Amino acid sequence: MPILPVEAYTSQEWFDKEQEIIFGNSWQYAGLMEDIQDPGDYITVQCGHQNIVIVKGRDQKLRAFHNLCRHRGTQLLRAVGKKQKALTCPYHDWTYNLSGELISVPEKEKEFPDLELDKICLHKASVDIWRGMLWVHPKPNAEPITEWFKGCREQMGPHDPTRLIEYPDSSYEKVINANWKIVAENFMDVYHLAHLHSNTLQMYDHANAKFGFIGDHYMFWEPHVPKYKDNLDQLMPFKRIKEMTDEYLGAFVPWLFPNFGLSETESSWSTFHAIPLGPDKTKVVVRTKLEPMTNWEYQKQSMKSYNSWHGIMGSDTKYGNQDPDDPMATGDFMAEDVYACEQQQKSLKNPLFNVTMTAKYGESTIRTFQGIIKKWMEQ
Amino acid sequence: MFHKLKISNLRQPIADATTVTFDVPNRLYDAFNYYPGQHLIIKFQVNGKEARRSYSLNSSPFRDEPLEITVKKVKGGLVSNYVNGQLKIGDELEVMVPQGRFYADIKKEEYKTYYLFAAGSGITPILSILKSVLYEAVESRIHLLYGNTHQDSIIFKEELDALEQAFPNRLQVVHTLSNPKVWSTWEQWKGRKGRIDEAAVEWFINQHPPIAQTTSYFICGPGAMNTGIRKALMGLDVPRELIHIEQFGGTKADDNHTIDSVDNASLEVHINGQTHSLKIPKGKTILQVMKDANTQAPYSCESGVCGTCACTLVSGTVEMKSNMALEDKDLKKGLILSCQSLATSESIVIRF
Ligand SMILES: Cc1cc2nc3c(=O)[nH]c(=O)nc-3n(C[C@H](O)[C@H](O)[C@H](O)COP(=O)(O)OP(=O)(O)OC[C@H]3O[C@@H](n4cnc5c(N)ncnc54)[C@H](O)[C@@H]3O)c2cc1C
Ligand code: FES
Ligand code: FES
Ligand SMILES: [Fe+2]
Repeated sequence: MPILPVEAYTSQEWFDKEQEIIFGNSWQYAGLMEDIQDPGDYITVQCGHQNIVIVKGRDQKLRAFHNLCRHRGTQLLRAVGKKQKALTCPYHDWTYNLSGELISVPEKEKEFPDLELDKICLHKASVDIWRGMLWVHPKPNAEPITEWFKGCREQMGPHDPTRLIEYPDSSYEKVINANWKIVAENFMDVYHLAHLHSNTLQMYDHANAKFGFIGDHYMFWEPHVPKYKDNLDQLMPFKRIKEMTDEYLGAFVPWLFPNFGLSETESSWSTFHAIPLGPDKTKVVVRTKLEPMTNWEYQKQSMKSYNSWHGIMGSDTKYGNQDPDDPMATGDFMAEDVYACEQQQKSLKNPLFNVTMTAKYGESTIRTFQGIIKKWMEQ
Repeated sequence: MFHKLKISNLRQPIADATTVTFDVPNRLYDAFNYYPGQHLIIKFQVNGKEARRSYSLNSSPFRDEPLEITVKKVKGGLVSNYVNGQLKIGDELEVMVPQGRFYADIKKEEYKTYYLFAAGSGITPILSILKSVLYEAVESRIHLLYGNTHQDSIIFKEELDALEQAFPNRLQVVHTLSNPKVWSTWEQWKGRKGRIDEAAVEWFINQHPPIAQTTSYFICGPGAMNTGIRKALMGLDVPRELIHIEQFGGTKADDNHTIDSVDNASLEVHINGQTHSLKIPKGKTILQVMKDANTQAPYSCESGVCGTCACTLVSGTVEMKSNMALEDKDLKKGLILSCQSLATSESIVIRF
């Protein structure tokens, strides 16, 4: 029997509660560290119901604040900004410095004679950088990020993302008509890899995958199939990532609680951020970083991979269907997953919907994940 | 309380400095445990006279290494020249257990970025902190800005180079020389030039943005550099409570400001469960009065840097000639340095 009720995936009430309890109390991915370059640069992130600003100070340190003016609560900043000297609220121009302290109020003597500016500061949140990524927590004194991810680093890829370069054409953003947990469960579903993706992820030896949970975080690694491994130089789509020495070869695909996945392969490093928008809507943002390489190296490797693929791996789309609009025929595993997630969400409304059984090994991960959600919601 | 410690080794990291290794007997092991950054107060007998000086430990308590201090020659300096020349292996010195508020409380699990600033002999406690962080707090990182006069005055250059090689992702050292020698060594100085002034601090911070966002700043050196660095950091919005300073002395008191002290003020001292009633002649510090009267006053540096002589001002007012030991929050609690305090009211009560 499923651990979570159907409402967990469909009801607004459950969604709101989840936002408050889970997303209001956990570290969440907020971007790559290079997204905030210079003092005065900022980005805003949604953490559950709370919008949070991350700004870089003149001491080069990041500070996180709730995006809420202390005057009358107006949203202080929009989206992203560069090289601000101070943060000014659009409504009545109350102005805060980069440390979040109130520094000026228009017509202060007349309108607020008793207000003590230095007593007022934006509400603080927590921010840190871990493995080249920005992380925020809505609470001011969150547990250290290293504590939150304790034990995870060793089970993840050896990649040093700070060294890798984001490949500009790689970013992908899509609103999926499914609950964020369906997206997460799909990500952790080991059973589907050999089936849904039989022609898109066939370079991996799914039967020898190693996976499990560390705390609330899901860890996954699977080796290459010998055919792929033996012809790696020919087949890998991009330049080999330096840290991915032979002992690590394969793919690390962890899911960091609550809503963030990574795909760390021999030649690419991708982030997968599933942002809950509503009970049946999730925005997925994927960004990819590669080993630094020249344009020429890039072209050469992708041509080599493309030209060798068919001969070595063989490739037919699953249903022999050549319709380019059919998600099951694109040769793109993401499209396959999106299709499966949306179909699953739709079925939740069907009165006949039920789950006969979940797989003993390959879907144990989903049961564990649901158990974790349950634990959070009941605490 | 002083303990006799034997000197087990002496070596010269540079021509003008001597590293002294102490042999700590087993029974004193616990007593001589320390936090990286702390110093020893040592009683020397130079030309038949007693002289006390403070020296920071450059060894790390997190490594299996013996207690070590490094003393740099000061022109005309009594003790530093005695150590650099007359002290011998096998000699015994009287040493107080490690102390001082300038230290890093390093936790194995912490995830922090350390910004360290040292000039000249000020490298000693900084080296202790640096080694401790590298070996104990394996997630934390360090950026060190280290100022010296020229190539041949850089204490621990080789050791720092080796550590930088061993921990390429966790330690970055930037040297800056105020007066590099052109032909001193086989190669010309290609590093940064100049003192650690405000511009250098700003440049340094901008060049080394932190990864771990919990930061600490440690500054140590002689002279006025320390306060200059603090000012520069605070100018960049670094919160004051994250900045730790050790002052080795070498600052001249501000000559333009004379303190108008009261003559013959009465002093009531509560110490060790006893009460003493004394008089303070004009211009004398509270500590001097107590020493003259043979009250057991704790002190060591007598120059306002170590904080050993701190006590609570219960009533009355004083003005301190200099204060590099107490922070604002200490002052708010009513702490004063007896070695620096002149009476500015008729009646004073203090408690140790
Ligand atoms: C907490 C603390 C830790 C210290 N740690 C070290 C250390 O690790 N290594 C080290 O070499 N010293 C250190 N010192 C300085 C040391 O205690 C002595 O002050 C120094 O060795 C000079 O003593 P002296 O007897 O040779 O000079 P003195 O005879 O006392 O003084 C001679 C002249 O030199 C000036 N002077 C004193 N100290 C300095 C200085 N540091 N730099 C420049 N001029 C000075 C004096 O103002 C005076 O004019 C530390 C001081 C403190 C308070
Ligand atoms: S609500 Fe922000 S200034 Fe009034
Ligand atoms: S004795 Fe050192 S501060 Fe007074
Ligand atoms: Fe999938």
